[in-house]
Amino acid sequence: MSIEVEKIDVRFGGVTALQDVGLTLQRGEVLAVIGPNGSGKSTLFNAITGFVDIASGSVAVDGKDMAGIPAASRIASGISRTFQTPRINPAATVEDSVLCGFHPHARISFWEGLLRPPAMSRTEAELRRRRTRVLEQLDLLGFAEQQMGELPMGIVRMVDIARAMAAEPNYLLLDEPAAGLSKTEQNVLIQQVRQLAKQGVGVLLVEHNFGLIRRLADRVIVLDRGKVLLRGTADEVSKRPEFVTAYLGTSVQ
Amino acid sequence: MNSLLMRYRSVLVLIVVLTVVTMLIRANTVWLDTSVVIAIYSLIALSVGISYGQAGILSVAQAAFASVGAYATAIVTARYDLPAAVGLVLALLLPPLIAYPLARLVTRLNALSLAIATLVFGQAFDIILREGGDFTGGYIGLSGIPPLPFASGLLQFHFVAWGAVLIVAVLLSNLIDSPFGRATNTLRSDTLRAVADGVNVPHVRSAILAFSASVAGLGGWLYAHHIAYIGPDSLGPSVSLSVLLMAVVGGAQTVLGPIIGAALLTLLFKFIPSQEVQGMFYGGALIAVLVLTPNGLMGLRTVIGRWMKSSATKRERATANVATGVSAARRAS
Ligand SMILES: Nc1ncnc2c1ncn2[C@@H]1O[C@H](COP(=O)(O)OP(=O)(O)OP(=O)(O)O)[C@@H](O)[C@H]1O
Ligand SMILES: [Mg+2]
Repeated sequence: MSIEVEKIDVRFGGVTALQDVGLTLQRGEVLAVIGPNGSGKSTLFNAITGFVDIASGSVAVDGKDMAGIPAASRIASGISRTFQTPRINPAATVEDSVLCGFHPHARISFWEGLLRPPAMSRTEAELRRRRTRVLEQLDLLGFAEQQMGELPMGIVRMVDIARAMAAEPNYLLLDEPAAGLSKTEQNVLIQQVRQLAKQGVGVLLVEHNFGLIRRLADRVIVLDRGKVLLRGTADEVSKRPEFVTAYLGTSVQ
Repeated sequence: MNSLLMRYRSVLVLIVVLTVVTMLIRANTVWLDTSVVIAIYSLIALSVGISYGQAGILSVAQAAFASVGAYATAIVTARYDLPAAVGLVLALLLPPLIAYPLARLVTRLNALSLAIATLVFGQAFDIILREGGDFTGGYIGLSGIPPLPFASGLLQFHFVAWGAVLIVAVLLSNLIDSPFGRATNTLRSDTLRAVADGVNVPHVRSAILAFSASVAGLGGWLYAHHIAYIGPDSLGPSVSLSVLLMAVVGGAQTVLGPIIGAALLTLLFKFIPSQEVQGMFYGGALIAVLVLTPNGLMGLRTVIGRWMKSSATKRERATANVATGVSAARRAS
């Protein structure tokens, strides 16, 4: 069971954001995508989740071609993602935000919402228990009743991750999850990602912090200007001269 | 139990207020009539609260949906002598049967195109009514709509109308506190966020517009049987704008807001009969509310809450300062 990305191209007008990119993400592994700014990492996330259209190539999840399947259905069928800039409703509380992440599991029918049969009250109670568990796992219980707009970026990112985890996805795509996190928060994150991978979740990770990648990622893909430059383990990749010029070179500039 | 109270607190407030008001005005036909009008406008304003307040759909056709309900019941009861219950079924079903496909056709990810679609629908419906010949009564409209058999007296009608408002308030309270309502809330503030939660945005948006159209249709049904007449100007485009104002002034995102707005602006009309002065008050009230409390009058709660909180912290800080001052003085001595 895996996500198979084959030779995809993504273009925005004249700009080619991705060209001939392929990857395999197995369930239970952590795959990191790195590359300089504008190299197409977020676009790769968007292409897999259906937030942008691919011009050619294919994305398949567990053997099923995703062509024509809208983004919301891909999420509902077990691929969760976060955004590089967390998308939050500043007025919502942390607990309400995470509750929204359960959407694929909640009873979503309009009629049930309107008439509130007893069965729905039970599901709602169960969701709230599961929410407490997720908040606990990510060390967020203390912030449960605070509004998103009042929180520092690190906590906001963790809430976003909690929201994505709430859907209990088979694949989790995290776009720069550690940016703005304190050392403690980073450790909680690392522990959680490991735990998820152990439970069989495939994690795709965009990250600039190479130290974190060394600790987490089974394999690494290096993108450069929309193309795959290198693949391998963190150690292998970091020793290659192309990596040093393309990745470290630009980020130092 | 506690969460039950939380969910239905607006409904409870409404019941208490209605009980008091009913006791005060039960013998006064003028006030009972006003009360019925307020209930009808409350329903149409609530339909705005549902579409605009909950989902952010700026629909300028809510009165047209009400008009669909009013005409449906007028045609079947006045023309074909069918019972008002048949009219009620049609008034509840026809508006959503128009609204859902309309929304589904237009809305992919863009809320503005849906607003324009409702505008086009409202205008088209207006033309259909006027050119509808005998069927719609053309420019003249349809009169002789029978009263409701079980509510021929004004007091009974008052109960029926407010009963309808209460039912809608319960349903809306349910919806807000459900997964569907949370999804609606998310897509109002950020569609992509909702998509990333796995929400089928076009469906949710269309279902909400359909629900709101049905509530408006219910208002139209009451309108027709209350006034006994419906014409193209009764629930025309200007009413769509009035109910939008009512919902926004009262607080479109809350259950009580649209009802408060409807009551306030209907009373304003009652006491300020001259059109120009009405317009001035109208505009003035809207600007005042939006400047002072952008979430409508119901938003005042948070404004006041924040103000009390900040003055409380100021007080605390003052006491703390005094305390540190005292201990500093003690240390010095
Ligand atoms: N929606 C869009 N419309 C037009 N161009 C876009 C869009 N999204 C991305 N691009 C372009 O595609 C290229 C790749 O962008 P992308 O955001 O995928 O890079 P990235 O590797 O995530 O960069 P960063 O490290 O800054 O997040 C850039 O040239 C960017 O300007
Ligand atoms: Mg990016």
